Amino acid sequence: MELKSDLKILVVDDMGTMRKIIKKMLVQLGFNNIHEAQDGSEAWPMIKTHLAEGAPFEFVISDWNMPGMTGIDLLKNVRATAEIHGLPFLMVTAEAEQSNVVTAVQSGVNNYVVKPFSAQTLKEKINTIFSNKK
Amino acid sequence: MNIINDPDMKEIVDDFCDEAMKLYLELDSVLDNLEDDPRNQKEMENFGQIIDRVMGAAKSIGAEEIGKFCELEKLIGYKASQVTELPLLEVVVAVLFDANDLLKRMTKAIKTGESKGLESLNTQAFVTRLKWLSEKFKSIERSSVAATPKQQIGQADIDNLLQDLGL
Repeated sequence: MELKSDLKILVVDDMGTMRKIIKKMLVQLGFNNIHEAQDGSEAWPMIKTHLAEGAPFEFVISDWNMPGMTGIDLLKNVRATAEIHGLPFLMVTAEAEQSNVVTAVQSGVNNYVVKPFSAQTLKEKINTIFSNKK
Repeated sequence: MNIINDPDMKEIVDDFCDEAMKLYLELDSVLDNLEDDPRNQKEMENFGQIIDRVMGAAKSIGAEEIGKFCELEKLIGYKASQVTELPLLEVVVAVLFDANDLLKRMTKAIKTGESKGLESLNTQAFVTRLKWLSEKFKSIERSSVAATPKQQIGQADIDNLLQDLGL
């Protein structure tokens, strides 16, 4: 499916290397409006600020295990906020445990991908998320 | 994306090396604290969380050996955070110190492009040592940030599970 290239995306990861890799993949996939935060505690105010400014993020790709605020806590904050409770959220993690997937789904994640992953896998995840959203 | 062998991706690989080196220093500090008090569960868990950050990025750039090391260290760190036997914890801290030192050398070898340097580190012998140590914790269930017992699964299984859960 074709998504607009200026989809406003927030990439949240405490490893700069991971943010760069994900950003590079997103650029490869044709996206050009990509923002970064180094953990949930930086991402959450950014999400609220952009919402208040009338230009909310349209997609969040977040790591799970981060100091400050974890990805799962960031997700819970998003889901608990009426104006953005449906914000598409992809959890990226090194955790390949069934219980983690269940926890993430129970918390309202739209999809879940385990590191390492390819640009193709990321594309498939994004397509699944936005197809289900329609 | 095979980043580690792609000359166009050198900047990302260099960034990874620099970032990982900083985290190894954090790990040294955590291990110093653990040397003083091996039963400090919070620090042992902290070790697992820091090493998890290196692991994800290492695997993503294709630094498989570093990724494998980190995976084993993370497993040992989380499991060790759940035991109180002092002699075993002292061994854990000593092995993790050595492992961290080896990680620094492996990362330096990647940054400088010294593939022969990496080969000479004899990392496989150390992996065997880490595996032996992780076996000591066989009875401990929790091996990650997960709150409930582990069941390691692959991306395909995760996708099936997500489908079953309605996604």
